[in-house]
This record gives sequence, C-alpha cells and structure tokens, in this order.
Amino acid sequence: MGHFDRTLAYISDLQQADTPGAICEKLLDVTSAFGLTALMAGTVPQPGTPKGKQKDHVLLCDWPIEWLERYVARNYVDHDPIVSRMKQLQAPFQWRDAANEVKADRDGEVVMGDAGQFKLKDGLAFPLVTLDGQIVMVSLGGEQIEMSGLEFGMISLVSGYAIGRAMQLHAGTERTIDHVELTPRELECLKWASAGKSEWEISQILGISEHTSEKHLLNAKTKLGAVNRVQAVAEAIRRGYI
Amino acid sequence: MLYALTTEELMQRPDLWEAVHRLRHSIFVEEMGWSDLHRDDGLEIDQFDHEEAVHHIVIRDGEVAGYQRMLPTTRPHLLTEVLTDLYVGDPPSGPDVWELTRYAVARDYRDGRRGVSTVGTELIAGFVEWGLPRGINKVIIEFEPMWVLRALQLHFLARPLGYQRTYGRQQVVATLLTFNESTLDVVRTRRAHHAPVLSRGYPDLLGQRQAS
Repeated sequence: MGHFDRTLAYISDLQQADTPGAICEKLLDVTSAFGLTALMAGTVPQPGTPKGKQKDHVLLCDWPIEWLERYVARNYVDHDPIVSRMKQLQAPFQWRDAANEVKADRDGEVVMGDAGQFKLKDGLAFPLVTLDGQIVMVSLGGEQIEMSGLEFGMISLVSGYAIGRAMQLHAGTERTIDHVELTPRELECLKWASAGKSEWEISQILGISEHTSEKHLLNAKTKLGAVNRVQAVAEAIRRGYI
Repeated sequence: MLYALTTEELMQRPDLWEAVHRLRHSIFVEEMGWSDLHRDDGLEIDQFDHEEAVHHIVIRDGEVAGYQRMLPTTRPHLLTEVLTDLYVGDPPSGPDVWELTRYAVARDYRDGRRGVSTVGTELIAGFVEWGLPRGINKVIIEFEPMWVLRALQLHFLARPLGYQRTYGRQQVVATLLTFNESTLDVVRTRRAHHAPVLSRGYPDLLGQRQAS
C-alpha cells in the first residue's frame, strides 16, 4: 500500500470513530510512530476565562491527567507560547520554534519547562478556524519527535479530519443533549481517580471492595466512551460531571 | 439570491460579466497575490472560462457579493492542467463530479469575522442545491486545509486527493466533497435559512438596489 493510500485508510477509519475517546486513540495510533504520544485539541478560551469554564473548551484530550490538572490550576493557557502562536493563526509549526521565539517571556518558559516534566518536550501544533470563526487549537506532543516533511503533512492532514469528526460528534451532542447517566458511586470513584488515587486506595476511602471500585470505574469508562481511566477522567471533567 | 449562469448567459450581461471578472481580479490577484493571473485591465479571466463553465453569482443590494465557478471534470480542469501536484493516482471525474474554483466573497460581505460569512455559506448552499437535481453529488475543491474542518462541520463526506502543498503563503489541499439531501439540510440549518437560494433567470441590473 502506498504512503497516500495509508493516509486515506487512517482518515476513513477516523471518520467512523463514534466517541471522542475512539478518535484520540486512532489518531495517536498514527502519530505515535513519530513520537507524538499526547494530544490536546480545543477551542481557545478568552484570556481570563474562569478555570471551571476552561474545560468546556476541550474537544479531544489525551494529556497526562496530572499535567491537565496543573495546566488548568495554574492557568497556563494564558502564558503558553504554543497557544499564543496558534492565536496568530499560523500554519502548522513545531513547539520548539514557538518556544524559541518567546525566550524572553519567563512565564512561557515555565510552562514549557513544566511540560517537559511530563515527557512533553516537543510537538507540533496548528490552529483551525470553524465555520463560525472559533479557533480550534490542535497540539500533539511527545518526548522525542522525528518526522520528514511528508510525514509532517500527513499528520496535519489526518489531524484535521480527526478534529472535524470530533466537531461533528460535539455538535451532535449539543443537538441531542447526549447526557451520560453516571451513578453517584461511579462519580465518586472518578473524583478520587482524578485526585490520583489507585483502585485499592479508592476502595479503602469509600469502604468498598477493590473489585467493586474497579467495576465502578470500568462502567464509567464504558459510559463515557473512553478507552482508559485517564480518558474517562478527562471526559468526565470535560462534561463537567466532576 | 444566487444565480447560476453559463458563460454565454453571463456574456449577455456586460455589467455582470465585468463585475464578476473584476471581483475575481481584486481577490485572487490583488488580495491573494496569484500574480500569474494579473491583467492590466483588472479583469481576471483564464482558459477555463469556456462554454461549459457555470458561474454562481450571489447578489446582495444590487452588487456582486460572492462568486464561484463550476467546471465539468469531463474535460480538462484546474486539477488536471494546473494544480497537478495536488493529487495522487487518478483524480475523480465524470458527469457527477464538478470542480469548484474561484470561491470568492467580496470584502464588504465578510461580516468582519474569521468565520464563514452568510454570503460564503450561501455559495455552499448554492452549489449543493444546484448539483443535486442535476445528478451532481461530488465536487473537487482546492482549498486551505482548515476548510476540511468546515466541510465536515457541514456533514459533507470529505476525502483528500493528495497532500497539501504550499503556494506562496497559502497552503492548499485538493479535496473531494460528496453530498446529498441531508447535507443540504445541515447547511440550511447552520444558516438558519431554509428557503432555496438558487434563483432562476437573471438578476436586476447591478447598482439597482431593491426597495426594502
């Protein structure tokens, strides 16, 4: 199969994904071969958007959960050099270029330095503009990335289709108000999971068996259409359930 | 309203013909810098303005506010003659596939926003509405990659025909968009305008504002 045929196969596969979790998984399957192992895509919050509201802007997220929490808690979105560069509506670029540009900005350096601790050392990013003029930022990162010009083009093309699919699903949920019904126990387990607790720790906190806490998290994961625990937590946060 | 005119019909209306080619020059040559198309008379015309081309013209307040040109793929078109590095393999062609070129919204009708203006979405509603009854359900468009997202938002089925290339400051990717009645529904819903946009006959003489 030729290079472009493979790209077409990735795209048609992505267009059949029916949850944000499945889109993340399929896209990262493609990009991880080039070292891009983490993904964040969402609309740009206005500077000073309250922390609680920032998560509503997330479309696709597969960031390490601790990094996501820190990013929101410390309001990094207002200082992130990648975000400022995307707001200028640049063509796809590499993180390291944006980081070099804003060397003078201390806050920007802090964000990039912190990202490095989570093995997000370099990546690529690009903005897209929706029909109604919203900017969607797409950022893919990893510890060490390596790709040719052709592969760079392939990744940005495939990512565009991934975001398009995510927007279709997002619009669909707006129309039909796709509300996932989580039980109080499932919510409780997700909250503790988002605080970094293991299944055993959660079982001790809630006075249930480890098997039961495991089951609650598994159910929540299925209902939220997530592929793993991290994504279930991210999805629950995105939907504002926890 | 949107008017679909053949080249011959357009030429029977010199005011409209000139306004169309002037708009094309001002946008593609002066604004986007496609200097190959420059002409001293300020009218942009190329070899594809042939007798089988169909010109879609959006008229607002007695002015040309938007434009796109539809070309049959059963004869040479932009992708096969000019933008040949934008496709891999055999490009799609046939009576059900047309190529959409020179998509343009006049400066005064861009609503001052980053998004797609109402004239812009009228052009989109227009080609879907024009195509369906004619057995045309696919268009090839060479556009900036961010249009992929917008096409998907409007529930077109999209497929790239090749990788994107950089022309000057612009990135372009050739894409095949497939549509049906439900695409038209989504486009109309997004515009909050359900009445047909395609109009029969000719627009009034330009500069004649309709009394409101």
